[in-house]
Amino acid sequence: MHDIEVSNLVKTFKEKGKEIIAVDNISFKVKKGEIFGLLGPNGAGKSTTINILTGLLEKDSGTAKILGYEPEKNWEYVKNNSNVATAYSWLSDVLTIRQNLRVYAKLYGVKNYEQKINELLELFELKNIADRKIIRLSSGENTRAVLCKGLINNPKVLFLDECTVGLDPDIADKTRGIIKDYQQEKDCTIIFTSHYMFEVEELCDRIAFMSNGKIISIDTSFNLKKLIKKHTVEIAVKKDIRLLKEFLKTEDVEIIFEKDNSIVFEVTTEKDKMYKVISKIFHKGFMLSNLHVKGPTLDDIFIKIARQK
Amino acid sequence: MKFHRINALLLKYYYITINRVDRLFDIIYWPILDLFIWGFTALFIQKLSDVNVLSMLLGAVILWVFVWRASQDIAVFVLEDFWSRNLYHLFTSPVKLSEHLISIIIIGFLRALATFVLMWLVGIVFYSFNILTISPSLIAFSVLLLTIFGWAIGLFVAAFIFRFGQRIQVLAWSVTFLISPFACIFYPLSVLPDWAAKIAIVIPPTHVFESLRAMISGTPVNQAGLMYALISSILLFILMAFLLEQSFQKSRKTGLLAKGD
Repeated sequence: MHDIEVSNLVKTFKEKGKEIIAVDNISFKVKKGEIFGLLGPNGAGKSTTINILTGLLEKDSGTAKILGYEPEKNWEYVKNNSNVATAYSWLSDVLTIRQNLRVYAKLYGVKNYEQKINELLELFELKNIADRKIIRLSSGENTRAVLCKGLINNPKVLFLDECTVGLDPDIADKTRGIIKDYQQEKDCTIIFTSHYMFEVEELCDRIAFMSNGKIISIDTSFNLKKLIKKHTVEIAVKKDIRLLKEFLKTEDVEIIFEKDNSIVFEVTTEKDKMYKVISKIFHKGFMLSNLHVKGPTLDDIFIKIARQK
Repeated sequence: MKFHRINALLLKYYYITINRVDRLFDIIYWPILDLFIWGFTALFIQKLSDVNVLSMLLGAVILWVFVWRASQDIAVFVLEDFWSRNLYHLFTSPVKLSEHLISIIIIGFLRALATFVLMWLVGIVFYSFNILTISPSLIAFSVLLLTIFGWAIGLFVAAFIFRFGQRIQVLAWSVTFLISPFACIFYPLSVLPDWAAKIAIVIPPTHVFESLRAMISGTPVNQAGLMYALISSILLFILMAFLLEQSFQKSRKTGLLAKGD
């Protein structure tokens, strides 16, 4: 069962007479209860895709189904059962947090909404400032208020578009915990975008990398990282750094930099090359004071895709 | 259409009204100021003329509030969501454009009614002028007609805001003023030059204010003119509602609704 099904979705904009393809024939499916990451550089088409799925934007062609329905044909059901949180759009800024949440609770037809509002304010640590106007909040507090709104109707499908921007590390960590707990408790399906790769890795079951409106790859973060077949190795030796450098030059590795008694180099993981190089270093009797091997991260994948533009 | 969603938006506009001093100024400060300026002007002119200028001018000021508030409140409450970058959340919720508009129309009417009551009381206390003594049925009919016309103007401005964004927000305050010289609020149609009279005769409020003056001076009211004004206001309202729907759909296509600017 898929809660979100997108097929051959296309969206273009006209700017100064020129046609710009924002979403270029993308297709993907998100299983019920899955947290699905949409990643990509600015202008990749992530927010445009979310805006189409939430009904703010009209697609040119293709189909998008949420909870089994095409949103245009059954807005009421789809919108009552989904919600959105983004750091880039505020709640009504002349209203207080509590007033805004009351309005949205009524819009979504939430029963016993005062209790629900209090629970959310408690959860996001906003109770003390619940009667403060949005315009007087810090960006982090504003983001948390928007997240409260995002959960006000217990959505089955939740769109989180860079919803942790502006949060301090402690609150951001708690927020990721809340999102994960909510998803597990309600079996909620989530589309998640962020520029913080570690949180995408922490939260998302699968990730779609987008660039220039296209989906380049969809997979788990574990499999995506295999796209880069290089590891970074940092070695520090007690002496003979010059000899180590000369040895590495004969081994077809790329030295990134050297400092004092340490060298950082990149080596391919293909044909066990990395293990062979490290094994040779041991056998040649270099006295190591530090050895650190780092595999590719989602950041590396992100940079690779962004630079392929 | 769901009542609980209209109710939710009414709650929001109520909060905006009590939280923002300038939204309270709209219904108290400016109308009362207007009433005093025209009231004292009328008292002065009254000394020079046998015509009941005081009733004519104050009656017109009080009734014009319905056009003013009905049109400006639609535009300003739509703009409010642009200003606070709140359109995104509003239109990702289940709310429909029709519910959004009905709620604005209701709050606008209630605010106009509050202003009317206030001006009515100020008229009685300061100028011994009770607008309801003119003709309650004509006043009720005029309120209905002017409100519908005001809504139509408000929808027209809202349509432009949805189509072009808040960069054309000046329309929210200027359109009503642009119409007012041709609406014959304070002077009869007969004083206008030919070219202006041709414009004025097709504007529905002209017929309301002409009737008001006729009623005060004891001459026959032009019933046909009032019927024309009512029908044309209703048609204009329907046309503007259609235009707004088109603009809203266009903003979904261009991305303005998602950007909210």
